[in-house]
Amino acid sequence: MGKKLVIDPVTRIEGHGRVTVHLDEDNRVIDAKLHVVEFRGFEKFIQGHPYWEAPVLLQRVCGICFVSHHLAGAKALDDIIGAGYSTGVQMLPTAEKVRRLGHYGQQLQSHVTAYFYLIVPEMLFGMDAPPEQRNVLGLVEANPDLIKRVVALRKWGQEVIKTVFGKRMHGISSIPGGVNKGISIAERNRLLNGEKGLLSIGQVIDYAQDGLRLFHEFHEKHRKQVDGFAEVPALNMSLVDDNGNVDYYHGRLRIVNKNRETVFELDYHDYLDYFAEATEKWSYMKFPYLKKLGREAGAVRVGPLARVNVTKSYGGSTPLAQAALERFQAYTNGKANDMTLHTNWARAIEILHSAELIKALLNDPDLQGEQLTLEPPESAWTGKGVGVVEAPRGTLLHHYQANEEGAITSANLVVATTQNNTVINRTVRAVAEEYLGGQAEITEGMMNAVEVGIRAYDPCLSCATHAMGQMPLVVSVHDAQGRVVDERVR
Amino acid sequence: MSVCADKPAALSSLSLGDYNAASCLVYGIGNAGRQDDGLGWAFIDWLEGTPLCPEAEIQRHYQLHLEDADLLRYKTRALFVDATRDPEVKRFRVERVQPKLDFSFTSHAISLPSVMATCEQCFGYLPEVHLLTIRGYEWALKQGLTAPAARNLKTAIAEIAAGE
Repeated sequence: MGKKLVIDPVTRIEGHGRVTVHLDEDNRVIDAKLHVVEFRGFEKFIQGHPYWEAPVLLQRVCGICFVSHHLAGAKALDDIIGAGYSTGVQMLPTAEKVRRLGHYGQQLQSHVTAYFYLIVPEMLFGMDAPPEQRNVLGLVEANPDLIKRVVALRKWGQEVIKTVFGKRMHGISSIPGGVNKGISIAERNRLLNGEKGLLSIGQVIDYAQDGLRLFHEFHEKHRKQVDGFAEVPALNMSLVDDNGNVDYYHGRLRIVNKNRETVFELDYHDYLDYFAEATEKWSYMKFPYLKKLGREAGAVRVGPLARVNVTKSYGGSTPLAQAALERFQAYTNGKANDMTLHTNWARAIEILHSAELIKALLNDPDLQGEQLTLEPPESAWTGKGVGVVEAPRGTLLHHYQANEEGAITSANLVVATTQNNTVINRTVRAVAEEYLGGQAEITEGMMNAVEVGIRAYDPCLSCATHAMGQMPLVVSVHDAQGRVVDERVR
Repeated sequence: MSVCADKPAALSSLSLGDYNAASCLVYGIGNAGRQDDGLGWAFIDWLEGTPLCPEAEIQRHYQLHLEDADLLRYKTRALFVDATRDPEVKRFRVERVQPKLDFSFTSHAISLPSVMATCEQCFGYLPEVHLLTIRGYEWALKQGLTAPAARNLKTAIAEIAAGE
């Protein structure tokens, strides 16, 4: 009789997931899946609310990447009132730059959380280390100086968010057509120069470089493990600007193949013309794919690894990140990089990139501009809008429709973790085959390897299912014939 | 030290007047959109309307963060206020908290003892920390406390205020 292994819950990710691995009588992997058992709800919940509430309410789907939800929603609202990119209107410079500042601040803060708090412990202690050690609190004991720096770095990112949005979580800055406040000289100087208990931008960049060095050192020592861990082929997708460089806030969606050649490029307003979503009975999370290529060939990867695969360069304003990107892209001789653990390398580069982008923005006088909001005439109302941003975890889409009274009639969210669903499942399968297949005994370290593969994507399952309220957890046990022999609901 | 509402004598350990300085922190944890999870913030709402400790730094957040270790390093005394589902807490409980790395960290949750241990390990300093937990019953996506949770809050406030 075959065996079934269950990892439940998968730890150090956002939301609740469950992994099942089916082994045959010779302990070969015959199936492996990530199940997401949270239930979606926010898209329904928002219907009937005034259109302007959408980005305010829908950011509450997540406590980590709320800024991305807020901004994707804000861009959709710009469209709805006739002040968005769909109608060819250019956002006011101050409004766009304030939004970008908040966006980059959140990317820095979110990546620092994922990288230092959730991933670095495994890099320093190893996947086989006891669970109580491979944890950020294990780092607190082992390397308090590193944690001091990390705490300071994340705190600085939070202060950027607080400066733009008014509070460190679920604040409000963007309104239809712009933003509700600019950045004062005093606020700018505080972030640039620091103060007691707050880093300066120079220190932020230094610490970001330290984080990247940490990966380089780890990679140097464990090259075989890092490079050989779940090499999973997939197309890569990211927003890019007119030069083909990643733009985390706005641009066209570009999809590249292994040779980093563009296979599709689209206006994100046309996303639904290009993508379909498949469903599986074993997961609430959908599986998007490019219609023209079909479900297997048309699955795309999004997020840090995808972005560094797609972007031509970082342009001239972020020289340290540009050098880091060139080193990354040279490692695979200019080809797209499919090595799952290199996602952490890409994430460390993006921490540095975000810091340099913020520095450039803070020195831009447009942040102190007085024109904050476009106010198009009522006749410009379109009643529909799409907003896309590159969230820390990857491409995030909000799509709303509103009636003439201004009430939301439909909302659709396609989040990065959903985009990555097929690729994450491929990763689970690859790691299971490598670490669990053919083993007489399954150890904690082997089980953790599966989690390491998932964590590389920093998935947010709450976002992906738009979870709302307390959701039941259902654990089912199946026999070799697929019959349910036990089921528990919590 | 742990103090329950049915042992009011020990409440003498908590005097809000002791928090009337900028070096003191009162920190409400919770979410007013999740019924009784809003107890911590409701306590802060009450505190902000009283003259008991106007100089204290008041904060309210959905959850603790590791960065709160950095907040604690600048304080001499801190009071955290949170809701609890623990059935052993009949109405409310006040306890002095000790640092402990309990390896409970996720990016969505970290315990108060772990935040304190991080402060101690990283900064070599720890303020006096108390935790006030108030018993709640429902955590659904809905505004407002349940009636029994509101009664527990009222009891906690009355007994704490009586000790001033």
